[in-house]
Amino acid sequence: MASAGSGDEKAAAAAMITLISSDNEKFEVTEATATLSQTIRHMIEDGCTDGGVPLPNVTSKILARVIEYCKKHATAAAGEEGSSSSFSDAAFLEVDRAFLEELEEFDDAFLEVDRATLFDLILAANYLDIKGLLNLTCQKVADSVKGKTPEQIREMYNIVNDLTPEEEAEIRRETQWAFE
Amino acid sequence: MGPPPRPSPKLPEEIFEEILLRFPPDDPARLVRAALVCKPWCRIVAGPGFRRRFRQFHRTPPILGFLCNSGDGDSEDHSEEFARFVPTSTFRPPRSECRNWFVADARHGRALLYSWKCERPFDTAFAIWDPITGEHVKLPILQEELKSLIWSAAVLCAGGEACDHLDCSHGPFQVVMVGTDFSQIHAYVYSSEAGAWSRTSQLLPLSEYLLLQEAVPNALADNALYFAVGCGSDLLMYDLATQKMSAIKPPVALDGQRFVLITMDTGRLGFAIEKDFKLYLWSREVSPEGDAGWTQSRVIDLKKLLSIGRCSSRPDVVGYANGVGVFFVRTCDGLFTIDLKSSQVKKARKVGGTVIPIVFPYTSFYTPALMQAYR
Repeated sequence: MASAGSGDEKAAAAAMITLISSDNEKFEVTEATATLSQTIRHMIEDGCTDGGVPLPNVTSKILARVIEYCKKHATAAAGEEGSSSSFSDAAFLEVDRAFLEELEEFDDAFLEVDRATLFDLILAANYLDIKGLLNLTCQKVADSVKGKTPEQIREMYNIVNDLTPEEEAEIRRETQWAFE
Repeated sequence: MGPPPRPSPKLPEEIFEEILLRFPPDDPARLVRAALVCKPWCRIVAGPGFRRRFRQFHRTPPILGFLCNSGDGDSEDHSEEFARFVPTSTFRPPRSECRNWFVADARHGRALLYSWKCERPFDTAFAIWDPITGEHVKLPILQEELKSLIWSAAVLCAGGEACDHLDCSHGPFQVVMVGTDFSQIHAYVYSSEAGAWSRTSQLLPLSEYLLLQEAVPNALADNALYFAVGCGSDLLMYDLATQKMSAIKPPVALDGQRFVLITMDTGRLGFAIEKDFKLYLWSREVSPEGDAGWTQSRVIDLKKLLSIGRCSSRPDVVGYANGVGVFFVRTCDGLFTIDLKSSQVKKARKVGGTVIPIVFPYTSFYTPALMQAYR
């Protein structure tokens, strides 16, 4: 893949960005990793990343996880781009499949976190506008409530029931089949 | 024991919507239960914006179940046979059967039912059934001197190719019925907007190759409807734009085997037939010059896929869900679904044998209409 890039691209790939967490910890990442976040991409385009990018909504613990995700997915994206020009179709498909499988395994392992951390990751993905991470984490929550009652969902995700007993009864009456 | 888990941080409402959008469409009960979690969730799920976005996000309507003309499962009592909805998802319809009616077709969120009298005049009554709302509306009787004893009919959204068919089950629709008086084939069209039947001008002479056949699902492809027309014969094409019928050759000579007409992913007409425990899939390709021909696109080893061994009777292809690409195949072990993309096999019903003849898969999005409770 390195041989495919021009000098300019290499320079761009090597450019480093400093991200600063809410608890003032600094993280050095490549621009390729950082720009998985649309929010940071726009800041780079606007030239306001000198001296580091402060992220007051993200703790160092969560930022470290987010960077771990972005690094993996930026590498995979670069690998796919590079491989397309240097392999035959069949070999490319094989490499493609291997990449996807590896990425899937990474994502599964990445989601092995407690619910509070999962919610923190969702908030960070939303704030930083990282589509892949937001999709992954929201899907995890959607999958986790399979077969769960409303009571169990509230307990799982610390949600207060503010429906009146009358409203609840009315909805249950209309959609009784879903509770049988 | 460790410390109690840290409570989850509060998420803003737009994130809840992102989560609810990702609920699998083939598990409608999950969405209903989520609406009972709290007011914000209920408000999101019941909102018209969510209804639209949920359909846009998932794009392909899921199989909620299938319609068939059958008894209650184990019984072979034919007097107890009528239109039934058999769920294959967590969805349950307000009514699961329509006594005295039979299913003729299902498409774009509606089922087409029919009922007949066994005395002259042999009028056939049609009705539209929406399994989601339970609504059952009779169409005006098609009063014709034509004794359409043998016919085939299709229901479809009237929006044509301009509609994405994600949420059109309450919009205008049409019913196309092709029937024969044993000398010619006639076509009739019911338009919900006109509220009336009309007869198309063209008549197709009936030949030994063109005998209409009931109980084979029809297909909508390339703005035309395709009907199966009998043993060892041609297929009937009805062009929706020109309202003209024509006969087309099937890819293989038919000698009484069960086959189904399907809509391919490409929008083209497909044809699936079982032979020697294999499912052969054909696609009808039309060249830029307008020449049409069949291409064999796939062969599926049913023996291997369904682990048919101890059961010696042949598997029967009894239905196909367009869009999701799922075949319904019956063996003596039961009714199975085969997902074309993943090759995943699921048992849709325990009962095999002849209890369920053909099935009309019902694909539609379900988002609960909770506006009564939540205005």
